[in-house]
Amino acid sequence: MSRWLTQFRLALRSVFLRKRVDQELDEELQYHLERQIREGLNTGLTPEEARYAASRAMGGIAKSKEECRDTRGVIFIHDLLRDLQYAGRNLRRSPGFAALAILIMAVGIGANTAVFSVVNAVLLKPLPYRDPGRIVTLSNVVRAPAGANALAKLISVPDFQDWHDQSTVFDAMAYYGTRRVSVTVGTSAEYARLTRVTREFFRVFDVRPVAGRSFTADEEKVGAGAVLVSSAYARQHFVEPSHALGQVLRVFDRPVTIVGVLPQAFDFPDGTEIWFPATALASPSVTQRTANNRLAIGRLKRDITLPAASAEMTSIARRLEQAYPQSNSGKGVALTPLLDDTVGDTGAMLYLLLGAVGLVLLIACANVATLLLAKATGRAHEMAIRAALGASRSRIVRQLLVEGLVLAIIAGVAGLVVAVWGTRALVAIAPAGVPRLAQAGVDGTVLTFTLCVCTMVSVLFALPPALQVSQVDTNDSLQASAGRTVVGGRGRTLRDALVVGEIALTVVLLTGGGLLVRSLLALQQVSLGFRPEHVLAMETTPQNRQRSRALFTGLLSDVSVLPGVVAVGAINAPPGNVDSTSTYWIDYLPKELNLLTGPSTVMSVVAPGTFNALGIPLRRGRDFREGDTADAPRAAIINESLARQAFRHDDPLGHVIFCAFDSLEPMTIVGVVGDVRQYGPAVEASPECYLPYLQHGFNNETLSIVVRTSGDPGLLADTMRQKVHERSPDVSVKATTMEVLVGEHFAAPRFRAILVALFGAVALSLALAGINQQDSRSPNVPKLYRVGRVGNRSKNAQEGNEWDKNGTGKHTRARMKRHPSWTPVIQVSKANFTVKPGPMLDKTSCRSERREAPFDQPNVRSGFKVVAWTGILATDLLVPELRRLYVACTRITPQQKLIMDGSEESEILPHQEVTGLFCWVPGRAFLGENGEIHPRPRGAPDREDR
Amino acid sequence: MTKPKDLVQGTLDLLILRIVALEPMHGWAIAHRIRQMSSDVLQVGQSALYPALHKLEQQGWIKAEWKISETNRRAKYYSLTRPGRKALTEEAANWERLSAAISAVVRTV
Repeated sequence: MSRWLTQFRLALRSVFLRKRVDQELDEELQYHLERQIREGLNTGLTPEEARYAASRAMGGIAKSKEECRDTRGVIFIHDLLRDLQYAGRNLRRSPGFAALAILIMAVGIGANTAVFSVVNAVLLKPLPYRDPGRIVTLSNVVRAPAGANALAKLISVPDFQDWHDQSTVFDAMAYYGTRRVSVTVGTSAEYARLTRVTREFFRVFDVRPVAGRSFTADEEKVGAGAVLVSSAYARQHFVEPSHALGQVLRVFDRPVTIVGVLPQAFDFPDGTEIWFPATALASPSVTQRTANNRLAIGRLKRDITLPAASAEMTSIARRLEQAYPQSNSGKGVALTPLLDDTVGDTGAMLYLLLGAVGLVLLIACANVATLLLAKATGRAHEMAIRAALGASRSRIVRQLLVEGLVLAIIAGVAGLVVAVWGTRALVAIAPAGVPRLAQAGVDGTVLTFTLCVCTMVSVLFALPPALQVSQVDTNDSLQASAGRTVVGGRGRTLRDALVVGEIALTVVLLTGGGLLVRSLLALQQVSLGFRPEHVLAMETTPQNRQRSRALFTGLLSDVSVLPGVVAVGAINAPPGNVDSTSTYWIDYLPKELNLLTGPSTVMSVVAPGTFNALGIPLRRGRDFREGDTADAPRAAIINESLARQAFRHDDPLGHVIFCAFDSLEPMTIVGVVGDVRQYGPAVEASPECYLPYLQHGFNNETLSIVVRTSGDPGLLADTMRQKVHERSPDVSVKATTMEVLVGEHFAAPRFRAILVALFGAVALSLALAGINQQDSRSPNVPKLYRVGRVGNRSKNAQEGNEWDKNGTGKHTRARMKRHPSWTPVIQVSKANFTVKPGPMLDKTSCRSERREAPFDQPNVRSGFKVVAWTGILATDLLVPELRRLYVACTRITPQQKLIMDGSEESEILPHQEVTGLFCWVPGRAFLGENGEIHPRPRGAPDREDR
Repeated sequence: MTKPKDLVQGTLDLLILRIVALEPMHGWAIAHRIRQMSSDVLQVGQSALYPALHKLEQQGWIKAEWKISETNRRAKYYSLTRPGRKALTEEAANWERLSAAISAVVRTV
């Protein structure tokens, strides 16, 4: 124990008081020498003789000093410190090289850190709940005939009840539904995200209110009016969470009281502001097994594994299949860990980016390795001297690795700056719907990652040159004139290999980027079937349901007379936001309704003039008109796809269509309109059926008023908002332009294309710089190299020569001119072995190092030039695209998004008994193999309840 | 000049410990004393002595302090520590056994 302490004390001393320890050693040896001399004098020698004898008796002092230092056991640290110092000096000596290498690595490391910080936030960070690994989502699995199972996240309440009552593997299980609703706070109405939850919901997350309490049993009964709100919502409206308690809001056309405030960190489903007891709202669909319109979530018991839980749930689902063959056959249950569910298929996109940016890093490494190799080849001479002075190969490799590490660490710090900026940029341009993106930033994990990357890349780019250079044959190298060291065959091969690798990786990136850009352009050229330019869409939800039709009729006539308005309409879901789909029948209803297997159509409710306003062409028949009211015969307009599917070559006009929408009444087809690509430009148009708004109910009494303007549609928003509030103050409105809405289809492909293309451009510039160096290095070695830079100082000094600017004595240079083969190095080696070695050689070698310009300046310049030019080129190509992207990004915020989704069964008028019919759309509306262009972005929990 | 060739590896440590056990001493004095006590047979050069001293100090068997020497100069004096004393007894016993064994073999032949 005490031995360790002693050693530790001494180690500390020799690390931190190194000068003093060395001084003491000197003093000790000096004392020894003195005593030795004194002894000589005592035996009668002259002082001169005594000194000589003593020196001889002492032997090599330097060597024993070194041995003494070795015994301290901290020699490694000393060497490291010395290497660090030396590396620093070395970098300072060739600032051009250092700047270029640091720039290259900073870009590589910075880009990687930025992408990783996003990956970390989205994919790696655990969810902020207690024991989040035990939280799973429950969803339906639809067994398709082809054998491919499709996951449908929405489930029905009766199924849930059976799962809940029969399963034994859950601590808690709840269903919920979330959507935006109109909430009146005080006198003004606004949209808020509301989630209806069942009793065990908060137990699933193990979360308790920070103020107030959770729901009581009474508050879960039908008609009760208690809500919980988020901390953010409470702060936004009532300053303090505690002030929110007891406040009354108006929602679902009834007063509700805030009884509790949930903690800041709790945000499930994403963005929820109000939680409402699901059972407090009467809903006819809770008894229908076909009404799949809820999401389910549960917390597994402590020792239950996911497979065990899945097995039990599967057996329950099988029992339900047998008990309710009509509704449940082919329906299974799947459990998904909440994190996987939250992340969805974002993971694939992020890993793609991480891979791409990793390639950039590899290219950067290869590049810097080429640079270092060029530099190191020039330093072969220096290395040879070091080797001649007794440095082992490993010592030389280590020194070069330390230089690489210093370079990488500096680049890492610079890279962090790039990363902080880059992360913000990534978050800003990322497509909407990437979960947890807001949390992306540089934190401990990211810093660790950067440090690991720095260490790794320093080895990657410093090791090949180090191994190569340390192999230098001392003799050959010293014999060859200083600096004129021939780049050996091996060195060339290595550099060629690096450049080849660089180009190969660049080609991979450029090809990938090119493909993504091509598909983006192809997507943008696809006609969506309507004209989104100059169209304003204003989502409008009146609080007062009874008067909503009158309100909309009035509003439409108000808006139509506004200056600059070309056409006005209203639709329950603007194109691209499919609200509901249903099965349809032509001319007659079958005896047994084949709800699941029959042909289906997208359903929209529109006001007259909507097709005009949106630019959807009317192909045959007529548009709806003012006369299509509740008293008039039911009318419907279908699109060309439906006409083709149902009528082939017949004329659809005058035929009757039945839809399982809000009733099964027959509707006469009065017109045919063009197709709209509802699911985005990558998906073919599907059959659609439009119904007049005065004859049908629509979700949540919400319509989007669509206005085609002659000028900038954005300018109209304020006027329209004013018009709405003139008619009724408690109406929630939210305005956006159709272009913004449409832009979302392109957000994800654009994001990927831009980033991969950007990485490709960076890779290209790096690779070009690399090739450029390769070229400029050969075959004529820069002049500086031709001049031997090591002279014999003592000899020059004796002959009265001074060192000139090149570090070469006049004498030496004169002799070089006469005898080209004469090499000053030989003199050095002579000096090494004949003259007293220490200080002389030290100076000489230092001099030679300082004078050397191993990395020739033209190289650095050309490297920079290439980087700059490619940068300019890339910027030139990308700027217009980036600007458009920027405009789109700054205009779309998640709040701006019009989400017209969400049918509230209880609110559908007037035929409630069949409301559940249209909700079950297996694998259609909720599943997206092509995640990015799907109308219903992944993460259904934050989508609307249907 | 360096290690005496006939000095068995490791015995230098034993010698130093033994000498330092008498009284605190500086490096030169240790070398001098070894020479004296071995009647000039064992001559320890500084190149062997000081690394050995530093190693023993690292091991915690001897400790060093700066004192004024008999020539009125600052010198580093080494003295035995408690673990050093223990090590000395062990090493000495080892040495006795080893040398006795070798002597026994050498004499019988």
